[in-house]
Amino acid sequence: MLVRFWGTRGSLPVAARAATIERKVARALVAAGGRTFADEDEALAYIAAESDFAAARTYGGATTCVEIEGGDGSFVICDMGSGLRELGVDAFARCAAGKPREFHFFLSHLHWDHIMGFPFFGPAFDPNARIVIHAGHADAEEALRRQQEEISFPVPFDGLRAAIEFRTLVPDHTYEIGGLKVRTIPQYHSHTSYAYRFEDGDKAVCFSTDAEHRVDDMDNERLFEAFFRDADLCICDTMYSLAESVTMKADWGHSSNIVAVDLCQAAGARRLALFHHEPTYSDEDIERMHRETIRFEELNRGERPKLEVLCAYDGLEVAL
Amino acid sequence: MEWSIETVEGATIGCPQGRVDEESWELFLARMNETILAAAAAGHRFVLDLARLDYMSSRGLRALTIAKREADVHGVPMALARPNDRLREILAISRYDKIFPVTASRDVAD
Repeated sequence: MLVRFWGTRGSLPVAARAATIERKVARALVAAGGRTFADEDEALAYIAAESDFAAARTYGGATTCVEIEGGDGSFVICDMGSGLRELGVDAFARCAAGKPREFHFFLSHLHWDHIMGFPFFGPAFDPNARIVIHAGHADAEEALRRQQEEISFPVPFDGLRAAIEFRTLVPDHTYEIGGLKVRTIPQYHSHTSYAYRFEDGDKAVCFSTDAEHRVDDMDNERLFEAFFRDADLCICDTMYSLAESVTMKADWGHSSNIVAVDLCQAAGARRLALFHHEPTYSDEDIERMHRETIRFEELNRGERPKLEVLCAYDGLEVAL
Repeated sequence: MEWSIETVEGATIGCPQGRVDEESWELFLARMNETILAAAAAGHRFVLDLARLDYMSSRGLRALTIAKREADVHGVPMALARPNDRLREILAISRYDKIFPVTASRDVAD
């Protein structure tokens, strides 16, 4: 399996401003200390060796969209955030090279930041494409049609040329979709959200975004420990600090890096990807959160095997 | 997890010992709530002395939040005292040091 992150930001797309890029370039020049590079490749190799991610790179600002490669070769895509536009462009190239034009979407929920990319998804305009939209919500079609009503968008949903169908999934059932075994579980979030577990042979990926683990219902976490059991990768909502998630942002439907580590360690998962980054966070803020989470995992590990903590960014690929 | 209570001038001090984890966080919470009620009855503040606590999972941290809500309901100020280095680091990473007073000594926890 291969997991590609096309959008990792929570709530609202964000973009780096000119001053942010200027600061990164200035810091890189200072760090280079007068060193010269024969060509761009040599400069890129120097940057690749730079351990400080935020100094020369960005976590990106597209909202939730994650692709999972595996199974029978059809596209498997979690959520339709703004990252979906770029996936669509890339999909055209891959389909031209022979990849089937079959797309299976799995929606965590129907909030704006998780569906806003669909009107810009090129393959939806391809009459030879087949798109199946799976959701735990029976009102998924209503949500997608509504965002393309004339008051919101110039192209109506019925103007899309692909063959599009909707399927409602239920928890406690294992589906075979796109050559993968798929299960879902409801999560605490406004209008409910759903996590998904995808299995391909002996590999498993869990996608759990927009999920609050409430202090007054901690017994419920045993369900998530079972759902994440022995997963190779868990993609988890880590939008807030633990303190924020239990005080001023309680009931906002999101979780923390601390709870994500706890759940993944209890489940015996191998990797955790920090995900759904707070839109007000700078690259430096996200990198600090990543460093702190690695340290917390170490402090909290005890006798358990190491949990690798990744920090998702737009463009990250994880091979399992 | 073991639990004992001490009383000093103006403060009722809860002293957990051992581990607060998935198995023991409910007992930890129950003991804190009982001690907060005792502090309220005595007109004291509640100090949680962490000096003999070896380990606290995130459920233990979140139990602190529930206890803080109980303390607020009864008008009892709550503070954390004497965390070991490891716990102090976890309180910083979780930003719990922003929502609880954390002190190196029980005497100055108010």
